[in-house]
Amino acid sequence: MESHILSWITFVPLIGMALIVCLPKRAIGAVKGVSLVATFIPLVLATQVYFGLFDKAEGGFQLVERVPWIGGIGAEYYIGIDGLSLPLVWLTTLLLFIGVPASFNIAKAGKAYYALLLLLEIGIVGVFVALDYFLFYVYWEIMLLPMYFLIGIWGGPRREYAAIKFFLYTLAGSVLMLVAVVALRLASGTFSIPAMVQMAQDGALTGGNLPFGGMLLGMKFTTWVFWFLFVSFAIKVPVFPFHTWLPDAHVQAPTPISVILAGILLKLGGYGMLRACFPIVPGAFQTFAYTLGVLGVISIVYGAFVALGQTDFKRMVAYSSVSHMGYVLLGFAALTEWGMSGAALQMFNHGTSSAALFLIVGVIYDRAHHRDLNGFGGLAQPMPVYWGMTTIGFFAALGLPGMAGFVSEALTLVGAYQADDARFRVLVLISVIGIVITAAFLLWAMQRVFLGTLNEKYKDYKDIDAREIFCQAPLLFLCIALGIFPYFLLDWLRPSVTNLIQILSHTGA
Amino acid sequence: MGDPYSEGLKAILPELVLTSTALAALVLDLVKKGRDSRQVGYLALGGLALTALTLCGQWGDAPKTVLNVVTVDQFGNFFKLFTCASLAVVVVFVMNDRREREHGIGEYYFLLLGAAVGIFFMVGTNNLLLLMLGLELLSLASYSLAGFHKGSRKSAEAAMKYVVFGGLSTGIMLYGVSLLYGLTGTIDLAQMGSADGSGLPVGLMAQLQRNPVPVAVAVVLVLAGFAYKVSVVPFHFWTPDVYEGAPTPVTTFLAVGSKAAGFGALLRFTGALFLRDDVQQVVRDYGERVGLLLGILAAITMTVGNLAAVRQTSLKRLLAYSSIAHAGYVLIGVAAMTQGGFEAAMYYLAAYYFMNLGAFGFLLYFEGVTGSDQIDALRGMGWRAPLVSVAMIAFLVSLTGLPPTVGFYGKYLLFYEGIKAEMLWLVVVAGLNSVVSLFYYFRVAKALFLSDASERSAASQPLFVGFLAALGAATVALGLYTAPLHDWAVRSMDLR
Repeated sequence: MESHILSWITFVPLIGMALIVCLPKRAIGAVKGVSLVATFIPLVLATQVYFGLFDKAEGGFQLVERVPWIGGIGAEYYIGIDGLSLPLVWLTTLLLFIGVPASFNIAKAGKAYYALLLLLEIGIVGVFVALDYFLFYVYWEIMLLPMYFLIGIWGGPRREYAAIKFFLYTLAGSVLMLVAVVALRLASGTFSIPAMVQMAQDGALTGGNLPFGGMLLGMKFTTWVFWFLFVSFAIKVPVFPFHTWLPDAHVQAPTPISVILAGILLKLGGYGMLRACFPIVPGAFQTFAYTLGVLGVISIVYGAFVALGQTDFKRMVAYSSVSHMGYVLLGFAALTEWGMSGAALQMFNHGTSSAALFLIVGVIYDRAHHRDLNGFGGLAQPMPVYWGMTTIGFFAALGLPGMAGFVSEALTLVGAYQADDARFRVLVLISVIGIVITAAFLLWAMQRVFLGTLNEKYKDYKDIDAREIFCQAPLLFLCIALGIFPYFLLDWLRPSVTNLIQILSHTGA
Repeated sequence: MGDPYSEGLKAILPELVLTSTALAALVLDLVKKGRDSRQVGYLALGGLALTALTLCGQWGDAPKTVLNVVTVDQFGNFFKLFTCASLAVVVVFVMNDRREREHGIGEYYFLLLGAAVGIFFMVGTNNLLLLMLGLELLSLASYSLAGFHKGSRKSAEAAMKYVVFGGLSTGIMLYGVSLLYGLTGTIDLAQMGSADGSGLPVGLMAQLQRNPVPVAVAVVLVLAGFAYKVSVVPFHFWTPDVYEGAPTPVTTFLAVGSKAAGFGALLRFTGALFLRDDVQQVVRDYGERVGLLLGILAAITMTVGNLAAVRQTSLKRLLAYSSIAHAGYVLIGVAAMTQGGFEAAMYYLAAYYFMNLGAFGFLLYFEGVTGSDQIDALRGMGWRAPLVSVAMIAFLVSLTGLPPTVGFYGKYLLFYEGIKAEMLWLVVVAGLNSVVSLFYYFRVAKALFLSDASERSAASQPLFVGFLAALGAATVALGLYTAPLHDWAVRSMDLR
């Protein structure tokens, strides 16, 4: 069992999905029960891997499984995990497990909903563990279809528009990825990502053996591959200017889906860059690192300013996601140990804090059926426990010292300042504006919704209930715990980050 | 030893079985006089099964030419089995389509089976004249089938357009064939393409150097004829109107069976001339120029097909334009002018079988339920008919080219061969087209599931729904376990 544990984590939800499909439509209690179990088991297994089976000192891939799959094209079922992907796998299992009770108040077509949710989990976990590029691509695309239906059927008033926009936008990026994958397959003769990385290190991945040689329209093969892959992952992160699908998708999606979308789907973009883009074309990465840093800073500042101008609570949180993910890209681009670790840490921390924020928005939306920030007031009085949890969540998103967000943002910014390229120092100074504006819009929102005179309409609102607390508590706990003991993540990340920096700094490719 | 005629008859046993089935269907309908038309359908299915059995019996036989004109080889076997399988599904559709239970059903099956006989000869020969005969037999049967709904204006219009367009195109193609005969002195593709032009007054290679213009004209004219059959732009204008006006089972046959047959003949023609191992370099270079032409046509075809489909409100017309676009995708494999490219094209045709037959089956089912082919009529029907609608989602996903379906694997192979053949631009165009196609394919999904449940209840046709669900499951399963179809396509691409 242990040697195949990653496959178990990936496919237990499939068993759950098959069971749900066989259950009658009316047995919604059984469906919910099966979903809970089918998402709890992967969480337990992932925890076992995290604290038991994973060797923290090892920077390479562990728990590897590799069997031939499609002989005709040379694709393998090749999976493994390292310090970068393990925290994200664990976060996926946690968020999907929280997503199930968060969905308990969904009334329509429950069976289909939970089946699609489990299918989504398979796709997400699969991407994080896949080491064969064909397998990676298959899992990447498998996520799109459930998301389309989850947003399009159970979402808000403009759900159909948001769903197809999300699907089209992401598919456009995926098609670019497919072209790049085919080109890489031709140039390297393999689908194995570690093998491609090794070839790039040896200077053997230049596309010279391709029919059109190593150059096309004046750009090197590696430059083409870099941009095709980067754009396709940048759409997912999302990096400015590829972020326009996000506000609609987040706002129109039902609360649990927004939680999963912001909590883990966005991280797939960042992870994809680290695993499947930068190490394969390190030369191109070095050339364009500053451009990436600039894009990251634009995301940080632009996202924060736009969030400041929102009156819809959920839209504000959506734009704050754009802003927070900008730190990730800035940290990657800096190519220092602190910057890279901070960025990887930021991916995890944003996952917990933004997931908590969306749950928080969901609580008030379920009661008031609107999200107008100016339409509330003084909610701290009828809902004190909710007010307390929101405070923790908002301060986590702010990056208050003592919270996990502070550690990751500080590491990222200091690491970026230390970059070899002196221009990064200017970028860091500009990013600080983002921190201030983030604090501004979060505190202002808190003031408008919870403080001040009580809006009479809401004086009889029931406080946050046990189910909602159950969903938010683990996330808020992680925000605080990792703020005080970031060791629990950084120690696991360090060897793989060191490895990665070594690969990316290599010149001559 | 053995009389060449009896040996030849043994080799064309599948064709003989098929012809007998066709005649038997006609006679049975005369006897039954319109009562109990299902029996004729079962007869047709039985005959097709028997034909498939004889074809499987020929599997793995060494390629041979019998009766001077018929070539029995693995390549032809692929397309003949494909035709049997697609025709069997079309017969199932006819049997399940409520509007088709009229008298004259025997003629319906006779025409379908007759068209299949035409296909068998079209793909099973290197002789251009027999190829034209098979093509004509297929076309004549198709014209009649298109106009089969006698009282319907649309059906009559479809037949009329088809006859005029088809007649003109076939005439042009025949002229091209006659030019090739004049230039090389033979109508046998194998001889025409042979390296040293042995036994010929002038070999193709020599003609390419002496008279390049007439050779180019001849090749272009013949390709134009094939382009009409597979609906490549700019020879596609007949397709939307004919597909829309013809009865849905006939449309299915045209979109799947007839199109695949056209590709089979096209592959054999280009393969025999340009792809042989012993071909000279000057011919191979010429072949690459032909490939470039086909690549440009492919790019235009995909784009026109997809962009036109975006504006359609009728599911039938949408599927018609989508099949034009898919012809464009298959052409990428042909344009590559490599062994791998042709294999990819054949695999994509096999994948196309599953997803397109499924999509048309879905259309047929809902035409029976709602009485209309408009996408709007499907609103909310996904909740009422979940099994067939989920199967349709599988078909739509496969048609778009998303994993883990056969459509995705087919697209992957085409992209791989396209880039390998230095046609990166074509692959990028195809990729962008896939994104556009998502938009209109998912309009169907949106109507089915994103609206609230419809008032109408779905008709209860458990066997047909089960059949469509099985097709849907196969579409996904074969996308994960790709070896059987892929190996079959690779093994069949053998034009010695």
